Amino acid sequence: MGDYVWFHDVSWHASYAVYFFVIGILAGLSFMSYGSWITPALRPLREKAAYGSLGLLALGGLLLIGDLSQPMRFLNILNPGYLNFSSPLAWGALNIVAFGICSVLYIMALKKGDEARGKLLALVTALLALGLPVYTGFDLTVHQSRPVWNSPIIPVLFVAMAIASGSAVGSLLAMGNDEAQKVLRQYMLWSAGAVSIMLVSVMGTTNYGGSAQELTFMIMTTGTMGLLFVGVGFLAGSVAPAVLLFAPMGKSQGVLMVSALLILVGGAALRYVLLMAPQQLQTLY
Amino acid sequence: MSEELRVSPIETRGVAGKRRFAMVVDTRRCIGCMACQVACKAEYDTPLGVNRTWVPYKVVGKYPNVKKQFLPRLCNHCDDAPCVRNCPVEATFKVEDGGFILQRYERCIGCRSCMAACPYNARFMLPSHRTYTPITNVVDKCTFCFHRVTQNLVPACVQTCIGRSRVFGDLNDPNSEVSYLVAKNATQVLRPEEGTKPHVFYIGADRNATEFGRDAYRQPEVMELERSAFKRNFKI
Repeated sequence: MGDYVWFHDVSWHASYAVYFFVIGILAGLSFMSYGSWITPALRPLREKAAYGSLGLLALGGLLLIGDLSQPMRFLNILNPGYLNFSSPLAWGALNIVAFGICSVLYIMALKKGDEARGKLLALVTALLALGLPVYTGFDLTVHQSRPVWNSPIIPVLFVAMAIASGSAVGSLLAMGNDEAQKVLRQYMLWSAGAVSIMLVSVMGTTNYGGSAQELTFMIMTTGTMGLLFVGVGFLAGSVAPAVLLFAPMGKSQGVLMVSALLILVGGAALRYVLLMAPQQLQTLY
Repeated sequence: MSEELRVSPIETRGVAGKRRFAMVVDTRRCIGCMACQVACKAEYDTPLGVNRTWVPYKVVGKYPNVKKQFLPRLCNHCDDAPCVRNCPVEATFKVEDGGFILQRYERCIGCRSCMAACPYNARFMLPSHRTYTPITNVVDKCTFCFHRVTQNLVPACVQTCIGRSRVFGDLNDPNSEVSYLVAKNATQVLRPEEGTKPHVFYIGADRNATEFGRDAYRQPEVMELERSAFKRNFKI
């Protein structure tokens, strides 16, 4: 005791974690919509996923703009005279706008029944959707002073979480369609497994780092954060669905639905902790 | 340090004809009067709850031989500043002659990316309501008193420091007092492992003062209670 600690505020609040969650789902849905052109079993998801993706983009955009302390200046980020290309936020803004335009064109092609253009636009939209979790990951990765964030695995982890969340929502949308569920089970199983392995890797490297890393590991694995990260995010939201889907009973409709819900709840918890925990320690410096 | 250590094109270490302003804080001379903090507040009308410079302390030693160890803090005006790299709209920029890291308030969108990038917590968000100053809802920070230095004055905190703990000058000028102090004394910078090449040098600051405090080892829930008590009166 006796130390005079000056408390600083965290830079990014929980609304940013909600944005990460929304952007992950919409990217995943975009992958599903493109997947429907490659895998006929996913055909019933094509329109639903495309509409869902665009709707979530509107929600995500509002969340992102609302999170700015100067919301009316959001156009500054699209001003070529202002853009700073060394910032991942600048790339992200361009990516979001391009994704939005392509999504609208894709839906228009779907409405017209233009198969050739639809398939091409689905591919372009899915590639731009891939950029969304990648840029949100880089948003965190470039901060060299933050343990956990400053790791090359974060963009990859965000892509895996986007596939898991997107296929989970896809599974809920395709309820009752056995053919689609068979494919979505595979997506959920392998993406949840990949997320589990990456989380073990993140926790391991964090625990064996310097003092800041060790302290961040303590924050992430104890108390409320620990319950959310280890309990909800890792065990319930990644390991449990992977085990359930891998087991012989994993093909039943009930297990698929439970797994999808667990992946979504776990994905939300993981994004919250990955965003907030590395900031908590920094507030004490 | 030689110019060979420059790794980024924006660094001005040893560049001929370019000034590189720096501050040396001699912690042995700091008495913790907080006059620097007050002078800064007065200079800029910095709102309650946030500071451009602040003076945290630690009590070290064992009773009865205890003392307070002060560590004045401010923006380090890094030679390779992560906040400049991270600002998506170039609201944060580096003045090439002098090395000041400044903020364009009219351009800042308030994404707080620079706050997240700063390893020193030197940046803060201005509140939405202020009594005398119309600059609100944007990120703010220490400017090394750019407006004073360009008038050949020293920053307000340096001007007011009663113990002459803070010394300011051009590090690229071998005859300046800061060059002398940095050359003749063992100096420390905060978090050198981040590679930001700070322009605030400390004399007499040990790792005990510059590392994360022991409060960091406490449960987040306990910290949260104290944080909310600390922030109770400041609606930022």
